[in-house]
Amino acid sequence: MIEINNLVVKYKTITFKFEDYHFKKNKISVISGRNGAGKTTLLKAIASLIEYEGKIKVNGVITYNSQEAVIFNRSVFENIIYPLKIRKLDISLYQEKIMEYAKVLSIDHLLNKNALKLSSGEKMKVAIIRSIIFNPEIVLLDEPTTHLDLESITELSNLIKKLKNQITFIIVSHNKTFIEELIDEEYYLGGKICFS
Amino acid sequence: MILESTIKAFELLFSFDKEIYSIIFLSLAISILATIVASFFGTLLGILISISDFKLKRFTKKLVFTFMGIPPVVLGLIVLLFITGPFDNLNLLFTKSAMFLAQTLLVLPIITGNIIISSEKTQKKILETATTLGANKIDKITLLIKEIKPFILMSIILGFSRAISEVGAVMLVGGNIKNDTRVMTTYIALNNSMGEYSSSIAMGIILLLIAFILHTLLAKFRGDFYD
Repeated sequence: MIEINNLVVKYKTITFKFEDYHFKKNKISVISGRNGAGKTTLLKAIASLIEYEGKIKVNGVITYNSQEAVIFNRSVFENIIYPLKIRKLDISLYQEKIMEYAKVLSIDHLLNKNALKLSSGEKMKVAIIRSIIFNPEIVLLDEPTTHLDLESITELSNLIKKLKNQITFIIVSHNKTFIEELIDEEYYLGGKICFS
Repeated sequence: MILESTIKAFELLFSFDKEIYSIIFLSLAISILATIVASFFGTLLGILISISDFKLKRFTKKLVFTFMGIPPVVLGLIVLLFITGPFDNLNLLFTKSAMFLAQTLLVLPIITGNIIISSEKTQKKILETATTLGANKIDKITLLIKEIKPFILMSIILGFSRAISEVGAVMLVGGNIKNDTRVMTTYIALNNSMGEYSSSIAMGIILLLIAFILHTLLAKFRGDFYD
């Protein structure tokens, strides 16, 4: 699904040299490593959000969800349908799916609320639904559990497991329980590649 | 003296003097028109400068920020030199069009600069998110305009305040001609020089009232801006 060869990313004064990786289709891949190992940099390079040298071959539509959820100044529902709107898709066809995902993540009662007024955890849930609602083939999640409570982490795990057959997930997380619940493959940055 | 002038000012206000009210109308018309035109181009320019990467970006931003603080009289002088020099055949000197031109050029960098500042603060994350959700350039610009709407409104308020309170440029290019190019600020300046303080205070009060009403109206659109 994603092939990375000879990847080098220069960020300010630091240069990250990555090993060659191959992320497989419909697997949940977890990227681990110490702080500053370049996990976020790797995700951003895969999402083509930063410049890099080397080769990244991506098969499919990809979306990246950052560590701090970036929420637009509008209702939760309007935030979620943004990717559908810009693709000029019929929103009514997605209503059921939006409700379903919102229920799984327990934000179905917040759909009409201004998303900027939500807690950090709720904002993260909105951002995650927004990044999966348009059926991308690959979803990159950068520390999605940072602001989530234990119950919410379980809800997110359930949602990811449910979508596993349709979406390839690449997740950066330090949350061991969350990782163990989901992991198909693990990639360790700054050392050897580990497969579980 | 101050009390006497203030009472006189209110008498003048409620006398519904034709000249006073035509001066008020002209001031408002020119300032509003200049602000509308400058807002349109300033918003576009501000957003384009902040989201684009080009060679002279830093220099362009410095230039915009420098012009934000240009003394109106200097700008008036520049406009005067142009309308009496290369564009002399347009006969713009001492006309309302010249005043409109000067005010537009005065307000334009204020709006552009403020939009660059506010947009650069927030745009990186918003644009990054929009990109990853599949937005094209037009989608991104539209999204950014919507997201920084409160700042755009704030820039417009600042621009209008600058336009309506400006005296140097309109005096130079408009000439302060009675019943023609005289506006509130040039009226105040003239009466001050003649020692007619009550008239100046009256016009000053109206100017403040207009500013207060407009800011209140705009704050309503802005929502929690003044909270």
